[in-house]
Amino acid sequence: MTVALPEQATRKYDLGFARWVRDNVNGGAKMSMCMQCGMCSGSCPIGTEMDQGPRKLFMMIRAGMKDEVFNSSTIWNCTSCYNCTVRCPRGVPVTYIIQDLAAKAVEFGYVKKVENARFAKAFWWSAKTFGRTDERLMTAKYYFSFGLVEGMKRGLANLKIAIGMVRTKRMHIGMPHKIKDTKGLQAILAKAAEIDARESKGGA
Amino acid sequence: MSDTKKFTYYPGCSSLGSGAHLDRSIRAIAPKLGVELEELEDWNCCGASVGHIEGGQLANTSLSGRNLAHAQQQGPQDIVTGCAACYLNTHGAAEKIKSDVKLRENVNEALGAAGLKYDEDRRVRHVCEVIVNEVGLDKVREAVTNPLDGLKVAGYVGCQTVRPFAETEGGGEYDTFDDPQFLDDFIEACGAEAVEYDVKTACCGGSVSVMKPEKTLHLIKKILDAAVEADADVIATPCPLCQTNVEMYQDAINKKFGTDFNIPVVFYSQIMAVAFGMDGKKDAALDQNIIKATKLEAAAK
Ligand code: SF4
Ligand code: SF4
Ligand code: SF4
Ligand code: SF4
Repeated sequence: MTVALPEQATRKYDLGFARWVRDNVNGGAKMSMCMQCGMCSGSCPIGTEMDQGPRKLFMMIRAGMKDEVFNSSTIWNCTSCYNCTVRCPRGVPVTYIIQDLAAKAVEFGYVKKVENARFAKAFWWSAKTFGRTDERLMTAKYYFSFGLVEGMKRGLANLKIAIGMVRTKRMHIGMPHKIKDTKGLQAILAKAAEIDARESKGGA
Repeated sequence: MSDTKKFTYYPGCSSLGSGAHLDRSIRAIAPKLGVELEELEDWNCCGASVGHIEGGQLANTSLSGRNLAHAQQQGPQDIVTGCAACYLNTHGAAEKIKSDVKLRENVNEALGAAGLKYDEDRRVRHVCEVIVNEVGLDKVREAVTNPLDGLKVAGYVGCQTVRPFAETEGGGEYDTFDDPQFLDDFIEACGAEAVEYDVKTACCGGSVSVMKPEKTLHLIKKILDAAVEADADVIATPCPLCQTNVEMYQDAINKKFGTDFNIPVVFYSQIMAVAFGMDGKKDAALDQNIIKATKLEAAAK
């Protein structure tokens, strides 16, 4: 859990949101180093599928455009290729910032229907329940999060792939893979969530 | 072998599914390279690229924390993994915990709920980095008994095997971000030809390709186009997600772009197993490739 968001900026030069990002987003403290050179956006393999590249997204953060930032497809189509991060001349951890903005968008209720949010839910469910990712169950959960009909459609579209995977023993049939100490793992994750809640309240 | 080096081996979830052939071939070639792999006790998922979204940063880091704590219990040896994403997450978490006292405190408080602790700094390494820095190419060449003469291989490195850690001190400074040589070196050490392949660190779309392939098929197409243009018999990669993405979407790409790709995508470790004279199925796991690598199969003992 994170410190509550500031209001959307209504006047020019409102740094409320930029400050919030600095203090609450993973890597955000380094964002002030950004000099808007565009190296990140120029290196991005998937800019065509983004509302704006990382450079512009960072500019929007400075401009206090909170809603536009959290609704941007940029944070959902980043592939985590780390081109931007290794090339940024100012040492801004661009990928980490974008990844965490995505998490914050979910936390603050901006996106419910986005594919990634559904996928992340299905993934975490598997990791938490079994301690391991069961690609098969996770995918099924993801597909059916779209509803029964859409789920069948997505499943069928990939049926050939799934059959190939089963045939080559890259997808198993049977019980999910599980770690031995699922209880211990769940206790760790519950504790971590508790610490997060405590720290955001105490303003650590 | 006299100078065997021991590692705690973290196979990652893909080893139980789509990347089973990476795991199998790594375990097969390791002894030939003087590497002993002892599996990490009760290892769990690393959180991949999405764990933080639903679970939060601390819970996600604690996933790696639990693995690190188990490694600490298991002995002083470094951790090694063959999965790019597991490497990225586990190495990244270890580095962060090392430099952030508060994070270490919080992770340990969480680990305490299961009676675990992580109070040292463990090196987390990638199999490829270990082959470059510990094993050395000479030893790879020495292990080759079945040189793959005439096999043309496009070495596709992908992103996360080299980014963002390959040029860092913690990452062993084993290669460069943009133009890494290690994969071509492995291929040539096996007696095969590494074709000119300038898209070697282009991105396959990663997990976005899994969720929404319609947005990334054009990226994978570039990787395939360049391989065909270079007249490669096979694409080789170190990353389990790249292998799956580039292999399984060829049908969809053919449908969308009217192409006729049908090019096998294998792991460098499968190529090594064949070149080391090992069994094509049992060791090289070539039976687990959906698009059959026929030339490599023919070369296998
Ligand atoms: S590359 Fe770095 S400095 Fe340049 S625009 Fe991107 S984040 Fe800013
Ligand atoms: S990490 Fe994300 S934002 Fe950065 S270059 Fe890659 S896809 Fe673009
Ligand atoms: S990256 Fe993938 S394979 Fe590796 S542990 Fe995480 S989920 Fe499992
Ligand atoms: S090439 Fe693809 S799967 Fe491999 S690391 Fe990059 S995005 Fe991930």
